[in-house]
Amino acid sequence: MRAIRFSQAMNEALHEEMQRDESVFIQGIGVKYAPPGGHAGGLLEAFGEARVRGVVMDEPVIAGSCVGAALAGMRPIADFSLADFATCALDEIFGKAGKWRYMHGGNSDMTLPIVFIEMIGGYTSGAAEHSQSPTALYLHSPGLKIAVPTTPYDAKGLLKTAIRDNNPVVFFIHKKLMGLEGEVPEEEYLLPFGKAQVLRPGVDVTVVATSYMASLAQSAADNLVKQGIDVEVIDPRTLEPLDIDSILVSVRKTGRLVVVDEDVERCGIGAEIGIQVMESEFKSLKGPVRRVGNPNLPVPYSPILEKTVLPSIESIESVVCELVAESH
Amino acid sequence: MVKEQVLAGKIPSSWLSGKGQEGIVGALAQLRGDDYLTFTHRGAYAFIARGSDPGRLLAELFGKADGYCKGKGGRHMADLTHGIYGKSGTIGAHATLAVGMGIAAQIKGSDQVVLSAFGDGTSNRGTTYSSINASVVKKLPIIWLCENNRYAGIAGGAEYFPFESMDKLAAAYDMPGCSIDGNDVIEVYKQMESAILHARQGSGPSLIELNFYRLEPFAIGGPESRSEEELEHWTNRDPLLTFRQLLLEEGVLSQPMLEDIQRKIDEEMKVALEFAEASEYPAPSEAFEDLYAP
Repeated sequence: MRAIRFSQAMNEALHEEMQRDESVFIQGIGVKYAPPGGHAGGLLEAFGEARVRGVVMDEPVIAGSCVGAALAGMRPIADFSLADFATCALDEIFGKAGKWRYMHGGNSDMTLPIVFIEMIGGYTSGAAEHSQSPTALYLHSPGLKIAVPTTPYDAKGLLKTAIRDNNPVVFFIHKKLMGLEGEVPEEEYLLPFGKAQVLRPGVDVTVVATSYMASLAQSAADNLVKQGIDVEVIDPRTLEPLDIDSILVSVRKTGRLVVVDEDVERCGIGAEIGIQVMESEFKSLKGPVRRVGNPNLPVPYSPILEKTVLPSIESIESVVCELVAESH
Repeated sequence: MVKEQVLAGKIPSSWLSGKGQEGIVGALAQLRGDDYLTFTHRGAYAFIARGSDPGRLLAELFGKADGYCKGKGGRHMADLTHGIYGKSGTIGAHATLAVGMGIAAQIKGSDQVVLSAFGDGTSNRGTTYSSINASVVKKLPIIWLCENNRYAGIAGGAEYFPFESMDKLAAAYDMPGCSIDGNDVIEVYKQMESAILHARQGSGPSLIELNFYRLEPFAIGGPESRSEEELEHWTNRDPLLTFRQLLLEEGVLSQPMLEDIQRKIDEEMKVALEFAEASEYPAPSEAFEDLYAP
């Protein structure tokens, strides 16, 4: 099978879906000027200025206009560039996109098929305001679906599903994954939301991670097997809906759970998945649920400080080893 | 009508009355059925003017299953069948939605227009400025309608409103703008006509400021910060009284015809109230429905 980059996989999804459905349009600061290899590359040439739109430099207008356009029958995609910037528009994203359908009694005309593309992640010396991964923040607000693709294959299949979904989807892409190559079939496919993937089977410890963390977790697992620890890495791929069943099946087998998340630990994905597992599968656990995440700090600039704060292959290995040692 | 139900405790929330601001119906009367309307948190006049069912409006305020939002929205309701796309619970956000509706009309190549109403208080939000900015840059078919009722919450305009009149902002953006007596329904109707024509022709947005007055406190049952004299001054200019008077003077309607209309209104409201009272509360399980579209 051919291998393409993550950004190319997204680009194919955008081209295919805009070709398929005339009501799909994309707007964002950079979409008209996207480089050929970028995820929005070639869209302007293919679909014109009406559907590939520049925007004013104001995130509330970018997000809110997606809601308004969706109410008027379109299927908007907003490219916010960094997730850090999108936080300026949380009223429009949480309040209007996320809650208006419910608040208006599920009126059939009140469907909001919107995709918000947001780039997350540190490891680039972006400092505190260009390095956030605020996935848990969105998980805390009802009405939003959340996709967090890890591979080019997932990126294409999940983005196509996101565009066709009749609900707002926040599509988180990671800076460190955009250049990642992976196998993507030539023929069309879609990936369902709410279906986790076992990236690596194992019997000793379940490690749950998404996006760039899933790739770090796989590297950690490759190292740990040399120390006799067989890790199962599970990538939920979407956080809402969350495939908790696949995680529970794995924990029933391993009896140990580590959740890796680049976001701050407090009230994070690890806390949420951890409590859900404890509520349903406490008897299977041989030791405490453990987290690897940002210890509630802004992401610092200097590489040595950034490395201290963000999860690493080493920190994942170390927490897994501790858990195994204390739960034998 | 709604005020009495709030004070009687039948509506489990307060109500932001639009009494005194009804002159806006002059603008609403210019809209086509397929035009879009985004609205302020105040009043029911947009709904009534566009033909919404008062029984379902009242049922919504009662939190009943027959309400426009099945009792889930309350006063932040919408009536999409009449082009009323919701009242934002946060002031100013609906301006950003109006931009999107304008974009949709532009992409579709339709000549639909968007009427986006906002208060003088809401004009302070960055979303208002940036949405107006976006509409000018993209030449969107939007009519920005500032309902200047002279108060934001219990604070008077001197606390927050920088302009002598809002058309100064239109001038800064080089778009058509006017500041008029919002109680002069005929003038509102005329100005809206040219603003709509401008938008339908693809010439971009306009701004109309209606100067009038909110005759009730910010919220029914809430504190009143304004003087008796000021209230009396504006009560005498209540458009429901002055427009009636005008219709009589011009011979458009006779006193018996007006009385007949009033009788019909009273009957319609009575039926609406009976409908809302008879409507069932939603089943508790309904709380789990409607989050996602199929």
